[in-house]
Amino acid sequence: MSAVLDVSGLTLGFGQVVALSDVAMTVQAGEIVSLIGPNGAGKSSLLNCLSGFYRPQRGRILFAGRDITALPPHRRAAAGLGRTFQGLQTYDSMTVRENVLSGMHVHMRAGLLDAMLYWPRARQEEARFTELAEEIIAFLELEELRHAPVGALSYGLRKRTDLGRALGLRPELLLLDEPMAGMNAEEKADLARFILDIRDARGIPVVLVEHDMDVVMDISDRVMVLEWGRVIADGAPDAVRGDPRVISAYLGQA
Amino acid sequence: MLPSGVFFTDHAAEAGLLRTLPQRLWLAALLAALVLLPLVAGAHLIGLLTMLCITAIAVLGLQITTGMAGQVNLGQSAFVGAGAFVAARLALAGLPLPLVLPLAGLAAAAGSVAFALPAMRVKGFYLALTTLAAQVMFPILIIRLPAAWFGGADGLGVDPPTVAGIRLGGATAMYLLCLGVLVVMATAAFNVGRSRAGRAFRAMRDNDNAARVLGIDPLRTKLAAFFAGAFFAGVAGALYAYQVRYVTTEQFTLWQSVWYVGMLLVGGMTQPLGAILGTLFVTLLQEMLRSAGGALLDADVGLQGGAIFAATNVLLGSVILAGLIFEPRGLAHRWGLVVAAYRIWPYPHR
Repeated sequence: MSAVLDVSGLTLGFGQVVALSDVAMTVQAGEIVSLIGPNGAGKSSLLNCLSGFYRPQRGRILFAGRDITALPPHRRAAAGLGRTFQGLQTYDSMTVRENVLSGMHVHMRAGLLDAMLYWPRARQEEARFTELAEEIIAFLELEELRHAPVGALSYGLRKRTDLGRALGLRPELLLLDEPMAGMNAEEKADLARFILDIRDARGIPVVLVEHDMDVVMDISDRVMVLEWGRVIADGAPDAVRGDPRVISAYLGQA
Repeated sequence: MLPSGVFFTDHAAEAGLLRTLPQRLWLAALLAALVLLPLVAGAHLIGLLTMLCITAIAVLGLQITTGMAGQVNLGQSAFVGAGAFVAARLALAGLPLPLVLPLAGLAAAAGSVAFALPAMRVKGFYLALTTLAAQVMFPILIIRLPAAWFGGADGLGVDPPTVAGIRLGGATAMYLLCLGVLVVMATAAFNVGRSRAGRAFRAMRDNDNAARVLGIDPLRTKLAAFFAGAFFAGVAGALYAYQVRYVTTEQFTLWQSVWYVGMLLVGGMTQPLGAILGTLFVTLLQEMLRSAGGALLDADVGLQGGAIFAATNVLLGSVILAGLIFEPRGLAHRWGLVVAAYRIWPYPHR
């Protein structure tokens, strides 16, 4: 079976600083792959290469068998690459439902003329996608808040809206950038359950960048460890946990 | 928020602009009153309201570009001017009004895209300055183009419009025409706000990086925002040309562009209702101060005309400033609070 994501030889530098060097990474269908490493290891650089914010100097990113290395971010989204963000990056003036609907942008067809006239074609499309958005809202248990402006919600709920917006894209791969940061134990447990459900019920593979080791070891099928822009370990959680290079990267030289 | 007891069983009905019977009745009553107004109002008031409708259309366009999509535009008056000159030219060529209005709108929109395309690399203050350049270039362009096109420095005269063979010569006819076009354009603006394009605009404004990652093409979306906003400006310009019957570059100044932005700020940037309330408030305030100044001059209390003119402008500026300090989110936001308070009365909380 061919991999959903196949990254090879990825190299990225900023001036003299090497952010990523010869990074290889694969994600198979139905996998949850976690990306961990100390601060400055290159996790965010790798994720930004995947979403198209950074253009690597060398290497190739194959997504669903297609080379997306040179595509701008919005074209990658159209190809089925979904992502959530570090911190709060929702559309704060919009309601929860509008956030989810805006995630469906690439699947909707209505243009400016449809928008102005709001004739049956546009009206029907809007109703059809509202139905789909409601499914996602129900999945994330946000029904009570569908019309609440996101800017007024709590941190955990805004992060959940961010996830809902990414699901609106109906992604074939979901990148989650430190989704648990700043959450309390209950919010983390909720989110971990949602991530597992996304994989199990929707069949969407997930790449998770996360600092919370308990969560990472609990829900990942595979863990990839980065240090100084290089992959130093890649395997099952238990194998990675015992790897001496990983221990020394996290705890310093023994 | 909706009054209690109003429920929907399908998404299309819930997305409606008017969702309750009282809303429909109130709007119908308001429109009927506006249509019947010429029977009782004087020519001066009708002329004022005609210009108000025209201005409101331009500000509605600015609400899309600047309010929804967050693209600062200090050149809206130039786009109104582009629409006015194209409309005058087409009307002179014998085209009927139902064709002239959309064509003038499209011409202004095309002009804005030609201008916005190179400006799309910059944001915020830099974009504001770039749109200022559109405002500066507009009169130069009109004057330097062959006089046979747009009349050069002399401008163009316009005949009254004909719709279906009927000549709309009178002030009342022009008022009803402009009111009708305003209703259509306002509906279009509200429609943009509740559809895919409007969400893409607001997504760009709220968080452009997130919008890109979620599949919204930044260049296309920004250009669409300028296109839509300038289309409104072009339609407003065409109506202006028919109303004033004469267009020159001096009518479409930077000063006017700044007023458009001021009206939008006072009314509230984030919703089309803000454009209408802001235009209404600022225009009526300007008019009241103008007539108060005139009365003061007639009363001959020993003040000179220049001093009165300056004083009324200072007062106008102060009222707008006070509005922005006490209600930075605009009159439309305040209106929303009033409606919500009315609906939850007598309870103080939802």
